[in-house]
Amino acid sequence: MSIARVLVANRGEIALRVIKACRELGIESVIAVSEADRESLPARTADRAVCIGPPRSSESYLKVEAIIAAALGTKSDAVHPGYGFLAEKPELAEACEKHGVKFIGPKPDSIRQMGNKLAARALVSEYRIPVVPGSPNVGSLKEGFALAESIGFPVLLKAAAGGGGRGIKIVTEASELQRAFEMATAEAKAAFGDATLYIERYLPNARHIEVQILGDQSGNVIHVGERDCSLQRRYQKVVEEALAYSIPEQVRKKIRTAAVTAAKNIRYENAGTIEFILDQESGKFYFLEMNTRIQVEHPVTEMITGVDLVQEQISIANGQRLSYKQSDIRFSGHAIECRITAESPRDGFRPSPGVITEWHPPEGEGIRVDSHCFEGYFVPPFYDSLLAKLITHGADRHEAMKRMGEALESFRVNGIATTIPFLGFLLHQQDYISGKVNTRWVERKLEQFVP
Amino acid sequence: MSEKDKAITQLTFDEVLQILNLIEKLDYDFLQLEAGDFKLSIGKRGFHIDDDGGPQTGTVAPAASSRQQVRATTSAARTTVQQPRAETKAPAVKEGTVPIVAPMVGTFYTAPEPGAPPFIKAGDSVDANTTVGLIEVMKVFNAVSSKATGVILEICVQNGQFVEYGQTLFLVKPETN
Repeated sequence: MSIARVLVANRGEIALRVIKACRELGIESVIAVSEADRESLPARTADRAVCIGPPRSSESYLKVEAIIAAALGTKSDAVHPGYGFLAEKPELAEACEKHGVKFIGPKPDSIRQMGNKLAARALVSEYRIPVVPGSPNVGSLKEGFALAESIGFPVLLKAAAGGGGRGIKIVTEASELQRAFEMATAEAKAAFGDATLYIERYLPNARHIEVQILGDQSGNVIHVGERDCSLQRRYQKVVEEALAYSIPEQVRKKIRTAAVTAAKNIRYENAGTIEFILDQESGKFYFLEMNTRIQVEHPVTEMITGVDLVQEQISIANGQRLSYKQSDIRFSGHAIECRITAESPRDGFRPSPGVITEWHPPEGEGIRVDSHCFEGYFVPPFYDSLLAKLITHGADRHEAMKRMGEALESFRVNGIATTIPFLGFLLHQQDYISGKVNTRWVERKLEQFVP
Repeated sequence: MSEKDKAITQLTFDEVLQILNLIEKLDYDFLQLEAGDFKLSIGKRGFHIDDDGGPQTGTVAPAASSRQQVRATTSAARTTVQQPRAETKAPAVKEGTVPIVAPMVGTFYTAPEPGAPPFIKAGDSVDANTTVGLIEVMKVFNAVSSKATGVILEICVQNGQFVEYGQTLFLVKPETN
């Protein structure tokens, strides 16, 4: 049976993005909203909105039963989880399977395999994909000392159940290990319900490079190029680009091949992203983790390839073969995305919810804005602070940067504080322009930012 | 305006939000803060705030009233912060009635099993603990209790109907002493 109606189990810009993809495919969309989002743009844009619970995510967007009840009650054929919330919880994918609703994403087993970072490392190692030198799970503090010494300080202490930059501690010397170990154990247990930790070598001068993958139910897997997401603040991506810039072609090729190898071997289905870290000192790259969902930064890939990744996700879930062969994927120009959030850069990035009194996104050639905001919209304090993704495309990186600079300049938002001024500051830095960045660069630049 | 007055009459939007956040986390449905001629009233879950700042429970459609409403008034500046009203899916609540709303999304059943008499009919008396129906979510049946005391005036949903969170199921004429 083919998909005629999709339940969108998310909110904000990604919900709107999925609704638009449905519309273009001639598929009806139903959005599951919390009480706080009844009047949101996605709720108004979808063919139907269904309230599934109160504002608190744990009572609405994170409730598998409510999503399933909404899908069945509205006779939806499939559920799109977006990113965040339940997207990487195997429980939703499993519940969908059990109730005869298609899950627009990978099989529950793939989500589970990649959800545990330690297990994922072990798995990809079997396919001869390099992983960051590190340990198996750290059973005790004593074991931690021995492992850290053998790997060599500085090290990263990571939660096996973590991901997306959460549950990570840097330990620069042995004397810090005890405290970090105790804190990380407690945090991992509280945040993920699993206190398992492992240790990785810390690479201070590294780039974050990730490969977009598509796989269908017949076992075909292609890559749609890679993205550079080295600009991060507190392990959260701030600026993303496609393709990766100023890296050796040989490395680019090897990273793509490694990603496809991993996805093929685990028989990965739907859209996914394999993240790598490239050590700029040694030129070596290592597997970091796999995200089994659509990513926030997927538009940069779409801009340079013309592939609609969300439409492709839906058609894969529908049992169709990939619309592209590897040789059909061509890259044209360069794209950059800036994540604009409701945070105040002049107040230590304090969250800034409230009513948007002015909203004038930029328009023009090579500019795309993915956003659920509008003038008069109340940014609720209950959720993620992402307001908009500003994406620019140019014939080359220089043109994309120039367009981004102008677009940021003309983006008018009032009523709430946003990160637009900070993004403008980053984009004007000589290091950024010449591509001399690493995953620590934004944090270092932070001190020089004068609002 | 003296510096002392400034502290409270110039409550910023952020500060109102902090208060909103706080009440969201707590179990209270209504908060009223008064300092001099400054007045702040916040209500949720079925409380409508009238111009006197007091909660009223039966004069507004539940789909809209279950949303948070904030009104801050000062003599110096008048700020009204109100979210847009929800599209009203339920019938307008009549004067002097209170709604029984769906506590979760799912399939509503009026009777304990097919063919059995319904839990309640129009004209029946209910109290806060009366079971008025069942909502099925993933094969789990959850009893819906009245929460209101009075007489059932109107049944707004049908047996086997899909209901949203917050949707009006019944209208009750509250008991008056």
